[in-house]
Amino acid sequence: MARGKAKEGDGNWKKFIWNSEKKEFLGRTGGSWFKILLFYLIFYGCLAGIFIGTIQVMLFTISEFEPKYQDRVAPPGLTLIPQVLKTEISFSISDPQSYGQYVEGLNKFLKNYDSDQQASDMIFDTCADKPDDYIMRGAFNNAQGQKKVCRFKREWLENCSGIADSSYGYRDGKPCVVVKLNRVLGFKPKPPLNESLPAEVMGKYNQYVMPVHCSAKKEEDADKVGPVEYYGMAGYAGFPLQYYPYYGKLLQPKYLQPLLAVQFTNLTYDTEVRVECKLYGENIGYSDKDRFQGRFEVKFDIKSS
Amino acid sequence: MGKKGSDIYSVEIHGIEDLEKTDKGDEEEKYKDLKGNKKKSKKTDDLKKELDLDDHKLSKNELEEKYTTSITKGLTSARAAEILARDGPNALTPPKSTPEIIKFLKQMVGGFSLLLWVGAVLCWIAFGIQAAQGVPSAFDNLYLGVVLALVVILTGIFAYYQEAKSTNIMASFSKMIPQQALIIRDGEKKEVSAEQLVVGDVVEIKGGDRIPADIRLIFAQGCKVDNSSLTGESEAQSRSCDFTHENPLETKNIAFYSTTCLEGTATGIVINTGDRTIIGRIASLASGVGNEKTPIAIEIEHFVHIVAGVAVSIGVLFFIIAVSMKYKVLDSIIFLIGIIVANVPEGLLATVTVSLSLTAKRMAKKNCLVKNLEAVETLGSTSIICSDKTGTLTQNRMTVAHLWFDNQIYSADTSEEQTTQPFDQSSQSWAALSKIVTLCNRAEFKPGQENIPIMKRVVVGDASETALLKFAEVILGDVMGIRKRNRKLAEIPFNSTNKFQLSIHETEDPNDKRFLLVMKGAPERILERCSTIMINGEEQPLDGERAEAFQTAYMELGGLGERVLGFCHLYLPEDEFPDTYPFDTDSMNFPTSNLCFVGLLSLIDPPRSTVPDAVSKCRSAGIKVIMVTGDHPITAKAIAKSVGIISANSETVEDIAKRLNIPVEQVNKEDARAAVINGMELKDMTQEQLDEILINHSEIVFARTSPQQKLIIVEGCQRQDAVVAVTGDGVNDSPALKKADIGIAMGIAGSDAAKNAADMILLDDNFASIVTGVEEGRLIFDNLKKTIAYTLTKNIAELCPFLIYIIASIPLPIGTITILFIDLGTDIIPSVALAYEKAESDIMNRRPRHKKRDRLVNQQLAVYSYLQIGILQSIGAFLAYFTVYAEQGWWPYTLLGLRVNWEDDYNNDIEDSYGQEWTRYQREYLQWSGYTAFFVSITIQQVADLIIRKTRRNSIFQQGLLRNKVIWLGIFSQIAIALILCYGLGSVTALNFTPLRVQYWFVAMPYAILIWVYDEIRKLFIRQYPGSWWDKNMYY
Repeated sequence: MARGKAKEGDGNWKKFIWNSEKKEFLGRTGGSWFKILLFYLIFYGCLAGIFIGTIQVMLFTISEFEPKYQDRVAPPGLTLIPQVLKTEISFSISDPQSYGQYVEGLNKFLKNYDSDQQASDMIFDTCADKPDDYIMRGAFNNAQGQKKVCRFKREWLENCSGIADSSYGYRDGKPCVVVKLNRVLGFKPKPPLNESLPAEVMGKYNQYVMPVHCSAKKEEDADKVGPVEYYGMAGYAGFPLQYYPYYGKLLQPKYLQPLLAVQFTNLTYDTEVRVECKLYGENIGYSDKDRFQGRFEVKFDIKSS
Repeated sequence: MGKKGSDIYSVEIHGIEDLEKTDKGDEEEKYKDLKGNKKKSKKTDDLKKELDLDDHKLSKNELEEKYTTSITKGLTSARAAEILARDGPNALTPPKSTPEIIKFLKQMVGGFSLLLWVGAVLCWIAFGIQAAQGVPSAFDNLYLGVVLALVVILTGIFAYYQEAKSTNIMASFSKMIPQQALIIRDGEKKEVSAEQLVVGDVVEIKGGDRIPADIRLIFAQGCKVDNSSLTGESEAQSRSCDFTHENPLETKNIAFYSTTCLEGTATGIVINTGDRTIIGRIASLASGVGNEKTPIAIEIEHFVHIVAGVAVSIGVLFFIIAVSMKYKVLDSIIFLIGIIVANVPEGLLATVTVSLSLTAKRMAKKNCLVKNLEAVETLGSTSIICSDKTGTLTQNRMTVAHLWFDNQIYSADTSEEQTTQPFDQSSQSWAALSKIVTLCNRAEFKPGQENIPIMKRVVVGDASETALLKFAEVILGDVMGIRKRNRKLAEIPFNSTNKFQLSIHETEDPNDKRFLLVMKGAPERILERCSTIMINGEEQPLDGERAEAFQTAYMELGGLGERVLGFCHLYLPEDEFPDTYPFDTDSMNFPTSNLCFVGLLSLIDPPRSTVPDAVSKCRSAGIKVIMVTGDHPITAKAIAKSVGIISANSETVEDIAKRLNIPVEQVNKEDARAAVINGMELKDMTQEQLDEILINHSEIVFARTSPQQKLIIVEGCQRQDAVVAVTGDGVNDSPALKKADIGIAMGIAGSDAAKNAADMILLDDNFASIVTGVEEGRLIFDNLKKTIAYTLTKNIAELCPFLIYIIASIPLPIGTITILFIDLGTDIIPSVALAYEKAESDIMNRRPRHKKRDRLVNQQLAVYSYLQIGILQSIGAFLAYFTVYAEQGWWPYTLLGLRVNWEDDYNNDIEDSYGQEWTRYQREYLQWSGYTAFFVSITIQQVADLIIRKTRRNSIFQQGLLRNKVIWLGIFSQIAIALILCYGLGSVTALNFTPLRVQYWFVAMPYAILIWVYDEIRKLFIRQYPGSWWDKNMYY
């Protein structure tokens, strides 16, 4: 038996929204609303000023040319072109539509590697045609203006360059993928020490190359993968060191990272084949959580018909 | 009681449905209320009428027949078992309690729980859809749903546990003393538990026993019972086996369940057991009186509505915005979950409960045992206290208050711990008077109490004699020794016809062979027997003038509401009464007139010494104290005056009439601040007249009231929108105790029924304890305000990230799980710590809060917390967020609109501001670092928030930064938990914490300082310009 509580009925609610007697809207008169809104205008104005000010102070402590910390982005990821959904390359040889998106992706990416894009000698540097040591281009600032960039010829990718075969092997059921190491400013990848490498990699060892090797993810799938062709600079299956370190977007806006094309020439059709490509190097890490750190996995599902 | 508890607890957690219910059912309820009241009062009347007991009229044989029992042999065990099976045990059925499972489920759906359940279900729906689509992060939603459900269940269990705990307090009360009864069965005397009694059992009772059932006496010897638990009158009533009154309640041959037998012995037949006893019926009447929602429950409900309202409206608003911004519906649902979680202060209700129970503990130490937690605050908002007189305001023992001898009135010390008496004891008259007081007294100390203070010693004897004995012992010491030295030769005990008591003693002076006759009694009777009067030790003739002086003194003392006794003596001449004179009290072979009058002593049950102070505290705290007593108006008024319930310069209508010498009717009632209302007057009053009295008089005493009238008075007060506290001890008080907003039962004198009905138990029966309770209650209200303000603030800092995430498409600044870690982790101890905060100003100097105007969470509090400090906190946390991203390579503006790419699981080479490419996991890990930085910043700023919330008006420096040590414990715990989460659990992926660079802990520090400075400025302006626009809008 609750005692009669004076409750706000419907009438009171309406009255709360607009009280015609006191000329109050939501319990405040016009003047009162003006005052309170003015207060908040000033208050938030000040806050916005303070916020922008503190952000500016923070940005002031940050260099334009070099990130303060790189512990989250390094060791770098290893990624493949074309970018694929669910890490799966699935197409049917007879249906150009089905691999159109992959070809498109490769075309788009490799456009920057066309020779006409690399014409300017002001920007591009002709580096050695074979793997060489790091090229240091001074401090990470614009004291000497922009830094030059090594050329990387699309032709080096041979069958996978898309020059001779505009379908990058897809129409023959011999798909190409292009492998790149994610750019990390100032990062100097170190080639691996000899002992630690699998035999296949050891064969083509060069002290200025970061070797990449693709193989079946599972042992039992090994024969399904078939032979793997690597097209890179001077035939090396890896990334030559003279392209490193990267000096950043501001100093090297046209930077071309070294590429490695990988072609699977005899994949088993009509079944899923999982392939793992791995980059070897002393300062290259792998992580169970990050599937793209220093390696990646791709699943081929090629339909023969 | 169990039911009551559950109702009240459910309120706390059930906000939403309850409001809807009350909204709809309000009119109906009012109607029911009126009807209910009528029904109830009818029921009370019925109770008296329906009592068609005729057992008291029956003879013993008829009784034996009726109950197929034998007075000498009792029932047979078999028959008793049979009846027990039929009637059930002889115990009051506890009020129907809700099944435990229902109580538990109620906790699971009340308050914020419903919102969180919605969140959890949305999570699972999102998980289902995403899992079907094969999204790798789908499991995050599953986990989040599970976590939310866990949060609800755990807080539910906590609330349930708290409730169960407070229910147990009561259970322990009733189970404390398993009662035994001595009965005759199968012709043998047996001791059985009182619960086993059945109708027809023959029970033997002796002094000190509690009557185990309603009993028709068939044999009684000097039996006296205390029916106070039934009627409220604590005067002993004699019991015999004679049928003396038609009304079974008045007749002498029935003793009632739960009353106590004071002295003598009796045997009787059980005529009613358990709920069918008179007490049982009253108890069921009490449980029929509904429970009021406690004020704090209403406040918490109000607060839950505000928060739930904000959560739902922002949630829905942004759902619509998200959908119209072309987000997928599924994503919008996930946003909705985030908004709900961010908005709901998950830990707050638990915090409130803990704060209340801390206060309850503190109050228990001060002798206020609170049975249901919310009553803690109710006491604080009390605006009227209806107090008993006896035992609560007074010491519940007669004490000598005044003496009159040598034509002069002396006052005696009536305090509880008197060790000496300060009045002038040099007069010879005093020596004579003290001798009479000592000798003409049958009361004795129980032996073996030499080391106990006199006032606390146990005495055998009636109240007046006890008072005189202790009085004498205090002044003279060793009364028993004096009595031994003045051997008693004859004695006539007090009886109501003579109205005097007389004894004859040898004197201790070996040279004085005279006998001393001492007499005490009703003053006018004593005076009749005197011809002389002792003045300064000299016997003087008692002439008209002296008699006049006596009359004046007698009237004066009587006017103080005191019981006056006259004392006289006579030295019997040695020649007429030689050594061997045989005194015979029957023939009275000694003179009983022409005695020498020595003096008057007046007795009163004095107010407790702490009470006047407590009453004046109540007064300055704006609390009206109304005395409700069964005592005489004169005594009641006298006590009321002496404790300040009627202040020194207030007059009643009658006083004014007397002063101006005009008839009472002509007095302007508004001139009289005080009123003394007799129970008989009250009976004839209409509701309006009572209201008028309650409104017009600030100092009211109700005298000669029956416990039923107490209920009327309480209802009258509640009609004035007052929060009413009622004290009571008798069973008949229990309806009033229940009806009151807070019923206060007496721990010592109170009956179990009263304790059952009450919300609070006063362990020392002392009114002053109520005042400390009020203080604690007010303090906790203020402190809860602070706790809530503290907790609500960071909700904005948790909410803003989601809103900005949706609108500006930046990577999510703080995760849902992380939010839960703030709400249920770092923030819990600090918010409880605010309950330990001392009052800012004298909270006992302001009026009690107005139930409807002074809300716990008012607009100012919500607006200041949400729109000012909350926003400040948000931008502080965003600064840390942007700093972490910028220093890793993502400048602030590059984050805008980044969300879709950022969250693309198959895009592993997104460029940052420096052209570096990030894999999905690298971004995610950075996102967690962002969460951690945001979390740490909120924590750091909550430290500042905690410090500013210590006061609402005063500067922190006025309050003392270090005075509340628990706050520092809170800050310490907060930071420690954050450190553990960040560095200890940083490697547990599911928790989304990462070990953070040390400097990020300090990014939000300037904002923390800004919060402090801004709040100090706010408080400064509030203090400087009271009543200004600033004060009105900024003071919460």
